[in-house]
Amino acid sequence: MSASAVGVSFRPGELEVRPDGTGNQLGSRCRACGAHFFPVREACSGCLSGDLETVRFSTAGTLYTFSIVRQSTPAFEVPYALGYVDFPEGVRIMGQISGIELDEIKIGMPMVLSLEPWGEDDEGNPLTGYRFRPAEAN
Amino acid sequence: MTRFGKHPDSDAADLGAEALHGAVADAGIDPRLIEAAYVGHVFQGMVTGQRVLAQVGLAGIPLANVENACSSGATAIREASLAIRAGENDVVIAIGTEHLTSKFSGALTPDPSDPEAAVGATMPSVYAMRARRYMEEYGMTREQLALIPVKNKSNAARNPLAHFRKEITVQDVLDSRPIADPLRLHDCSPVTDGAAAVILMSDKAAKRHGNGRAVKLAASALRTGTVDVEPASMTFEPLTWATAHDAYERAGIGPEDVDFAEVHDCFSIAEVLRVEGLGLFKQGDYPAAVERGDANIEGRLPINPSGGLIGKGHPLGGTGVAQVVEIVRQLRGESGDRQIEGPRVGLAHCRGGKAVGIEGAACTVQILVR
Repeated sequence: MSASAVGVSFRPGELEVRPDGTGNQLGSRCRACGAHFFPVREACSGCLSGDLETVRFSTAGTLYTFSIVRQSTPAFEVPYALGYVDFPEGVRIMGQISGIELDEIKIGMPMVLSLEPWGEDDEGNPLTGYRFRPAEAN
Repeated sequence: MTRFGKHPDSDAADLGAEALHGAVADAGIDPRLIEAAYVGHVFQGMVTGQRVLAQVGLAGIPLANVENACSSGATAIREASLAIRAGENDVVIAIGTEHLTSKFSGALTPDPSDPEAAVGATMPSVYAMRARRYMEEYGMTREQLALIPVKNKSNAARNPLAHFRKEITVQDVLDSRPIADPLRLHDCSPVTDGAAAVILMSDKAAKRHGNGRAVKLAASALRTGTVDVEPASMTFEPLTWATAHDAYERAGIGPEDVDFAEVHDCFSIAEVLRVEGLGLFKQGDYPAAVERGDANIEGRLPINPSGGLIGKGHPLGGTGVAQVVEIVRQLRGESGDRQIEGPRVGLAHCRGGKAVGIEGAACTVQILVR
């Protein structure tokens, strides 16, 4: 993705998109007990500390489970694959799956974050969202 | 309760009023004895409860509308029970109503502001992912899962108020339209209109005004999901277990004392997760138990004798109240073709709502004893 073509994040509080097209999912880390949360929280559910920092999550994880969605809202063209990926920080994040045939997806696959075009905002500016791709495909 | 199904010529207030009249007639009381009302609904808009009471001439009493996603009606019952336990009221009505066909079609989704809704989450897809994981961990087959809608629609065929009155086969389930793999149309609860109402009384009021047919609400527990500090299993429900534990403790019983249950089978896999979360079946055992017939009306521990959400229908706000109506009728021996033999303890379980990072939004467990 060239720098000029990089759209802004579709949800800036949850996905950081940098001008060079790289990015990370964002969440919270509790400075008191080390727990991580997605999305950003105001207090830790483990120890109730309010001392949280916003952190960038790793971009590689493991597919916990998935489904091929065949009926959805008008905002999403079906079919698409949806899955939960577990990341080393101890967070599980839902996302669509790309870069693989729908019938080849398997629980336990190594996955990586993939920043991808995500439609346009109300003014027609391109947006960047995320999907997860199998690690081998990159 | 009203018939569940499609009601093109009425709205949520009409349905709620019909349910209220039915409950008042069943209790045999003067409706002016009702001191307060709690009315559960999800997509019906502001002050639907007041519209119900206005229809039947009872406006003026304290009323709170209750929204807790699919647990809204059950939460209304809990609120009613708390008003009585607190000594504030002696006779309270809880109503759940929903005219869903006019508000909504297709797959229910979390609120659009939710990060998971933003990437395409639907409720069927979330349960489909749980089904896939359960199949991987416990070896459940797709055919075993299909036996749940087969059972529930068979029960519904024996329930004159159910949305679906036709029995289906495993092959019908496997041939139905795919919704979110591995779930198909027959695995999903339908879009249903309907309402139900129950009248709760203090012991004192029941002695004075009761007609001797009341059953005891031994516990009404409510919890909300916690935020996980690390990814939790999606094949077990700590929220269901925690809520059930509260209810068992309050009722002074354990899961082994439950004779039958109405559980929140919004999807086929949900019934598996609920009954195992409630401790009614051991983790991983339920699919084989269904195959043996243990969960049938004639089985060891009947699950969803009414037909459940899959067979009877799922008018979101109405669901939790309708479950309690079924339990009351079963305990009284008034369930006709689907009557369980001599039950003494019935359990109702609801859970609903999805928000990112929490296991489930709202969960209720109610225990009724004859």
